[in-house]
Parts: sequence; C-alpha cells; structure tokens
Amino acid sequence: MDILGSFALLLAFLAAVYAVLAGIAGIITRRTLLTKSARNAGMAVFVLVTVAVGCLEYFFFTNDFSIVYVVEHSNRALPAFYKFAALWAGQEGSLLFWSWLLSIYAFLVLFLNRKRHPELMPYVGVVLAGVQTFFLTLNNFVATPFQVLAGPDGAGVMHLSKLSEGHGLTPLLQYPEMVIHPPMLYLGYTGFSVPFAFALAALLGRYPGEKWIHITRRWTMIAWCFQSIGILLGAHWAYAMLGWGGYWAWDPVENASLLPWITGTAFLHSVMMQEKRGMMKIWNVWLVFTTFMLCILGTMLTRSGVVSSVHAFAQSSIGSWFVGFLIITFLVCFAAYWKNRDYLRSDNQLDSLVSRESSFLFNNLILLAACFAVLWGTLFPVLSEWVQGSKISVGAPFFNKVNVPIALFLLLLTGVGPLLAWRKTSFDALKRNFAWPFGGGVLAGIIGFIFGFRDIYSLLCLILGVFVTLTIASEFFRGARVISARDGTNFFTAMGELTMRNTRRYGGYVIHFGMVLVFIGIAGTPFNKDLQKEMSVGESLGIGPYTILCQNFDHLDNANFESDRATLEVFKNGKSDMMLFPERRLFHASQVTETMVAIQSSPLRDLYVVYAGRSPESGKPVIHAYLLPLIKWIWFGGIVVVLGTGLALLPNRRTALVLRPATERSWADAIAGATPAIGAVARRVEGHD
Amino acid sequence: MINLRNGCGAPQNSPRPLRPPSASSALIFAFRAIVLAIVLTMASASPASAQDTPRAKALSKRVLCMCGGCEDSAGMCNHPGGTFSGPCETARGMQKDLDARVTRNESDDQILQAMVEQYGPTVLVEPPKKGFDLLAWIMPIAVPLIALVLVWEVVRRWRHKATLAPAGGPQVNAEFLARAQREAGREGSEHDE
Repeated sequence: MDILGSFALLLAFLAAVYAVLAGIAGIITRRTLLTKSARNAGMAVFVLVTVAVGCLEYFFFTNDFSIVYVVEHSNRALPAFYKFAALWAGQEGSLLFWSWLLSIYAFLVLFLNRKRHPELMPYVGVVLAGVQTFFLTLNNFVATPFQVLAGPDGAGVMHLSKLSEGHGLTPLLQYPEMVIHPPMLYLGYTGFSVPFAFALAALLGRYPGEKWIHITRRWTMIAWCFQSIGILLGAHWAYAMLGWGGYWAWDPVENASLLPWITGTAFLHSVMMQEKRGMMKIWNVWLVFTTFMLCILGTMLTRSGVVSSVHAFAQSSIGSWFVGFLIITFLVCFAAYWKNRDYLRSDNQLDSLVSRESSFLFNNLILLAACFAVLWGTLFPVLSEWVQGSKISVGAPFFNKVNVPIALFLLLLTGVGPLLAWRKTSFDALKRNFAWPFGGGVLAGIIGFIFGFRDIYSLLCLILGVFVTLTIASEFFRGARVISARDGTNFFTAMGELTMRNTRRYGGYVIHFGMVLVFIGIAGTPFNKDLQKEMSVGESLGIGPYTILCQNFDHLDNANFESDRATLEVFKNGKSDMMLFPERRLFHASQVTETMVAIQSSPLRDLYVVYAGRSPESGKPVIHAYLLPLIKWIWFGGIVVVLGTGLALLPNRRTALVLRPATERSWADAIAGATPAIGAVARRVEGHD
Repeated sequence: MINLRNGCGAPQNSPRPLRPPSASSALIFAFRAIVLAIVLTMASASPASAQDTPRAKALSKRVLCMCGGCEDSAGMCNHPGGTFSGPCETARGMQKDLDARVTRNESDDQILQAMVEQYGPTVLVEPPKKGFDLLAWIMPIAVPLIALVLVWEVVRRWRHKATLAPAGGPQVNAEFLARAQREAGREGSEHDE
C-alpha cells in the first residue's frame, strides 16, 4: 500500500506538471485537444491524490506501524475519529492534506466549468495546476508521508522494520475540534487559490469585463466562510483546551490565519466597486494576489517555524521552498500585471466624498492597515534580529494596543458604509438614516457605563455595536415596510421576501450583525477575573456570584488515558447551582498530561474551572477558576456569520413574471407612447444584487 | 490555534513553593496572612496564588517567562502538557523577584531594565519604545497615515474627473421620467445598493 500511495503521489505530480505544460502549449497553439487533455490531467490529479490520502488513512486504521508518519501520530487505542484526523497532525500529512483539498477545488472548478468560459478556463487550469505542482513537489520530494521504518543490521544492510505500537497523537490534538478546525482552515487557505487563479487567468488572457469576479464571487465567499469558521474554531479550541481562560494569544500561526482573512474581507468588499462602478480594477487584482500569497505565507509560518510559535508542529527547512514559491508567484503576478496593465485601466470617478464608494475605500484602507499591523508585529522579531542581531519579543499586548483602535474604526464603518448611497448621499439622508441608530448607540453607552462598562474601548465597542445593529435593523425594517405596504403581506413575510430578493445584500447585513456579536464578546475581556487556590475536599473558593465547593477527587482509567477528576459543587448567590468536573488526563502513549476544562457557559458570563494539578510544593490539588464575561457571544456571532454567508450564497429569488390584463400602460409603452401591449406585460422584474 | 508546548525546560516537580514566601519574618508572614484573609473575604477575586501587589502582578504580565518551553508572560505562565498547569519554576522565580523589587520600591522602569539586564531584550513582552524597536510601534501608525494621504489624493483626482465629466446620461422622455420617479418613490429604499 505504501508503494501504491507513493506511486499515486508521483503520478499526481507528473499529471500536474503535464497540466501546466500542455495547458500552456494549448493556449499558445490554440489546439483544443491539448487544452482538453490538460484539463483532464488537472482533474486526474484529484483522483490520484485521493488514492494517496486513502492509502495513508488505511495505514492509520490498520495500525500499520511500519510507516514513520503513522508511528509518530497514532497508537492502537486512539479513537477512530482521531485516527482519521491524524492525517493532518504532522508536517507531511498536513501538506498532503493541502494538496488534496486544493485538488478537490481544482477538480470542481474544472468540472463545473468544462463547457463554460472556453477563453478563460485554459488559463485557470494552468494556474491551478501550477500551484498543485508546487505542493506535490513537497509531497513527493521534501516531506513524503509514506516514509517506511528501516534500520541497518550488524553488517550495515538496511532492513524494513515495524513497531508494535505508535507514539500516539499529541494529547493537545485529542479534542473534537481537531477533526474539524484544521480542515476548515485549510479549506479557507486552499479556497483562495480559486479567485487567485481566475484573477491571474483573466489578466493573462485579457478576459474582458468583470466576468471573473462574477464567476468567483461564490468561490471567494465559500473560502472566506471556511477561513472564518476555521479561525473561530481554533479560538474555541484554544479556549476550551489550554486552560488559560483566553482564546486568542496573537501567536504567529494564529496571525497567519488572520492575514488572508483580512485581505479576503477587503476583496469581498472592493469587488463591489468594480461590479457596480467599474472602479479599482488594479486594486482588486492585487488584493486577490496578496490574499493568495498570504495564504502561502500562512502555510509557511505554520510549517517552517521561521518565527517562534507555540504551534511547534515541525520546524524544518521547508521554509525556503515556500520562500521560493512566494517569489515565483510574485514575479508571475507582477509580470502578468505589467504586461497587461492597460487591460486594467478603469474609469475611476467619485461624485462625492459622502458616498458608498468612499466608504469602501476607507473600509479597504482600514482592513489593510489591520493586515499590515498584524503582519508587521508577527515578522518584526525576525527583522529586528536581522538588523540588530538580537531578538526581541512582540507579544499580545502590542497587538491589542495596535489593533483594537483599528478594529473599532472598522466597526464604525460597518455601520456607516452600507447606509450611504452609491455616488452621493445628501445631508438629509444622512440625518434620516443615522439619527436613531446613533442615538440608540449613545443611550446604550450611557446604560453600559452605569452598569459598569468603564473600560474606554469596551464602552466604545458597545456604543458602536448597538449603532451598527440598529442601522442593520432599520435597513430590514424600512425595506420590509415598503414591500408590506405594496403587496399587502404581513411584515415578517415581507422581510423574508426582501431578504430572498437580494440575498447578497441582506446576507451581508447578517454577517455584519454576526461580527457585531463577536466584537461585543471580545469587549468583555477587560472584565475577566481569575483566582487560583489550593483546595482540599471540603474547602471552597469564591469568585463573583459563585462559590465553588470541592467535594471529591477521583481517578478514572481507560485504554487511551487515565484521568484525575475533581468534583466541584458550584453555588450561585448561596444556592446550589451545578456540578463541574474538571479533569487532568495522562495519555498512556505519550505520557503527556492535559487539562480538560469544565465550563459553565451562559450569555452573560462563563465560569471556567481548571484543575491545575497538585501543587509542586504542598502536594495539594490546585483549582484555578476564571469568570469570563460575554465569551459566548463570540461563538454565537460566528454561527450568525456562517448563516449570513449561507444566505448570501443563495441565488436571488426573482419575482415571477405575472401575466395580467394589459389595461395599464407599461414603462416601455410610456416611452414609446404606444398603445397597450398585446396580451400581457411583465409586472416587475428584480435583477439587482 | 492550538498550543503544542510540551512542558517547560525546567523540571516541573521541583520542591519550589507554589506561592513563594515573600518575607522571612514570621511576624510579617502572619500579618500578611491576616490581611490576605480579610482581602479574600472582602473581594472574592483577589490573587491568591499569584503576586503580592497589583503592581507586581501587572509587571509580571509585562515580562515573558524565560523557561524556554513556553511563550507566556511570567504572570500568566501555564504549562499545558506539564505535570502542573500553573506557573513553572522559572516563572515562580521571576514572580518572586518582581515581588521583592516592588517591595524595595523600585520604579517600573528600573525593574524592567533589571529584567532586561538579567535575561536579555526578549524578556520584554512588548518591543521597547526606543532605538530601532521604536519602528515596531511607529509603522502601524505611519503606514495607515501614509495610505490615508494616498487615498485622499486618489479621491481628489477621482472627484476632479467627475467634475470634468458631469454625469449627463442619455436624454429621457419627460413622461417616462415622471412615471419612473413615481414608481421609485413607491419602492422606497429597496433598490439602492
């Protein structure tokens, strides 16, 4: 099977190389057969990489400890779903997984568009195959997942060997999110390859108009959504697993996942400028190029250990390959841009500073500022070491100080931007649209201040959060009221009708609302409390309205781990409220201990209790309790963002053509001054998005 | 987003106290215990195991734990994967040092400077605001400002273009225009994206 896997990977590499070469030859010679053959090779990569992935999974499920990768990341007692997820637990498997997800995207793109866009698709195929070639090079020649165990005998002759048991999966990875967080994040990283490929293809092929943006809109949103889910799941994992009461540490790998998300967000907004007004063509192309390169940079930071990260997966020399690929990508993008820059000439005009256009410009400016700040902070230690010869640390406080004001400004724009009209917004319209939301925000701020929101950033976040929510609500309300009055339907039906008629716009509002919830959740951070105490049975600890009484400590054992468990009774305002069972698990295979946090979550606050182990000094058990306000809003906001994205992906419901007696004169008649049309006229057609 | 530190460079099970004794005198210790008990009764979220003063606690979050096995601050050191998920020996030592310096009434700057002399510049959680490292702080402000100036310039040019070429559009039949305005009024804000 290892030979089958290796062979499939090698063939996949050859197929990808062929897809690039035959694709280029097809474009130059304009021979359809070559182009088709290149496309088929591109699709074949998917089948071949799938075979390789299947082989590796087979080794995990059959406990084949003759394969180095399986030995290092699995053991017999590992539950089945972690065996499945062990595919992406280490360097080699993660890179294979990257290739596989990319091949799925490439297959879908090539298959779904096989009869469409004949001028554009050959270029797209070449770009996608080029990216695949790079990752398959890594899979085949740099980090092969099918390396077998072998050792020399007395005479120095190498023999294959096999172990009876593996080293096990790192305990920190043995958490349900392991199965879902990396795939989501990787689907985001790889997914941005699709808009990148189309943008580069459109530029190389001088494909007219904004068509590449229309084609890739859904692909970009899907990648963006996966990236959002991946980031939030990672934050939740860190929160629920690491036992430090936080969810975001501004670790380089976390930052790496945030960077393409930020530029992707900027891209999703700025393409609207091109679609509606034909503006910012160069900017959009470079934004998608940057997003893709940041995806590669993110993968490099995760995989290479260039900057010191607590995600110490595998630190190897693989970074230089990524640097090389990044340089090549940049050169190709720049050359394509330079050669075809006249193709991107756009007629940029701005009628007023108070307009949707300018709000998009500021949106992009702020997002790019945030992206730069995160990138700068992440790479500054490397730069500092290079210039000064000594390393410095850039920790979470730096990122918070720099990014919190930027994020708040962005929140403000989230409220202001969508309410400005294209081209120009009058002062009266501004007053009409913003007076109530702004008043509501200020009122919420006053109430928040009275109830203890004394941190300036949190207070601003609350004011802006309420402001944005009210602007969104007013948009739904005004639209639904108009439809309700016109069609005579009830208000909620009208709101559904309104939303379904322009899913992109109203889905966008739902996403904005989800982001408001995330921001409100983050705004709770300054009010965190924690208390650590040595506790024997019968002792108690008080935090906020809770008193935690230690009832018992017991020991559990199973094939994978043994566990020390604390049984804690929690009293709220003096009344027994719940039981919590924080644990410490010692995993047999790796002999590493892990905390299992007990969390009682409510919309107002989380009670987060860690059994930290026995004090090295007194031997008594130590309980660390945290009171973390509003955390749940972050996860709930994430769900709303995903639902909003789902909504925005739906096709617009178009009003059916209603046949009616031609007693009224249509607009067309009015123009022409003609007699009523014979038969029927279309009553109304919605077509905007 | 996950954290794969497998313990600390220093052994976790050394017989160091979890909460370092901060004074040698038994009398002071007893006094402190009483004060701590009172504080605990009054405010349930007081730092029981961490540091003696809020200033020391704040300082401990401004320096990194230098054990080499984690990326946490000395005040937040928490070793997942280790035998004890709390401050490691190095972090406890640093906390104790900070406590002692705060007790000696050294200023924040003096204490941080002493830490840098002892452990090197990496000990500071944030880059210092001087010399080359000042760039770390300036650039995230300077670059957006420069970008803002550029955007402003772009906006100015685009507006100039707009005034040069006023949007006239095709001539529209007056009757149609009136009808269109009536219809548009009825449909309200529905079409303005």
